[in-house]
Amino acid sequence: MLTCKEASHLISKKLDVKLTWHENLGLWLHISLCSLCRRYLRDVKKLRSVIRAAGKSDQMLPESFKLSEQARTRIKQALRKNMTDKN
Amino acid sequence: MRIVEDNCLIVLPYTWHSIFNIIFIENGSNNFNNNGGSEMRHELSSPDQWLDLHGDILYRYAFARVRDSEMAEDLVQETLLAALKANARYAGEASERTWLIGILKHKIIDHFRKSSREKAQEFAGQFSDDENNDYFDQQGNWQVDLSSWSKPDTSLEQEQFLDILQHCIDRLPPKMAQLFMLRELDGIESEEICQLMSISTLNNFWVILSRTRLQLRHCLDLKWLN
Repeated sequence: MLTCKEASHLISKKLDVKLTWHENLGLWLHISLCSLCRRYLRDVKKLRSVIRAAGKSDQMLPESFKLSEQARTRIKQALRKNMTDKN
Repeated sequence: MRIVEDNCLIVLPYTWHSIFNIIFIENGSNNFNNNGGSEMRHELSSPDQWLDLHGDILYRYAFARVRDSEMAEDLVQETLLAALKANARYAGEASERTWLIGILKHKIIDHFRKSSREKAQEFAGQFSDDENNDYFDQQGNWQVDLSSWSKPDTSLEQEQFLDILQHCIDRLPPKMAQLFMLRELDGIESEEICQLMSISTLNNFWVILSRTRLQLRHCLDLKWLN
């Protein structure tokens, strides 16, 4: 029987790679008896889906998270310089 | 007119606000990551408008992955300069914003590749765990109190949750945070991340990732109480 520590590792690994049948069986046996690990599996899956959805719609960071004025000025200057070099 | 109708179909799940933008303002460029209708040809705006139109979105995109504001600013600048050079090759298949984000993606990957080459030896230490903060007892049982948090439903909840998530990600060692974001946000394959970040084996990668998830989940548990 796997420990919770081992199970948590397999739960995480399961999100990144297909587990071997042996790993899967062990995890399934553990999870069917352990509500804390079931919860852990649910939580890390939730975490992934929230992050993916936020990433797709530019919501990972709030809209108030913006370039600073200094950075904006610096980038503008660099762009202008390159535009004049180009012409 | 047919093009506009096609676009409406694609856009149905989005808000009226973005439908309005897509039809009347920018033909799809408000729609993050949308490649636009295949029949549509996009045109570029003048390069001196790029920063105002897309600067902040590019900055957020970069920061979410590199977790460093100076580096994210540099990446925005590099992206716009590269776009200026590649201007003539823009085929109009993707919207201007999608095109710029595409360039930024390459810049981010380059950045990781370069920095892992420059300081490959230092990396091992930067992933290190805080062993004092162990989540399991000696028998391998959970020793933290696990309350389950529910998925944020309303948009306000979502906003608050993401706020807390940012806070929790910022508390991770930087390399761990970068690796986690590349994996979760972009779904980049494990092997590729190992190469990018000079992680010697897939096994190490899974150990780091597992540790990261434990740490994040614990942090969310403490801060996001429902």
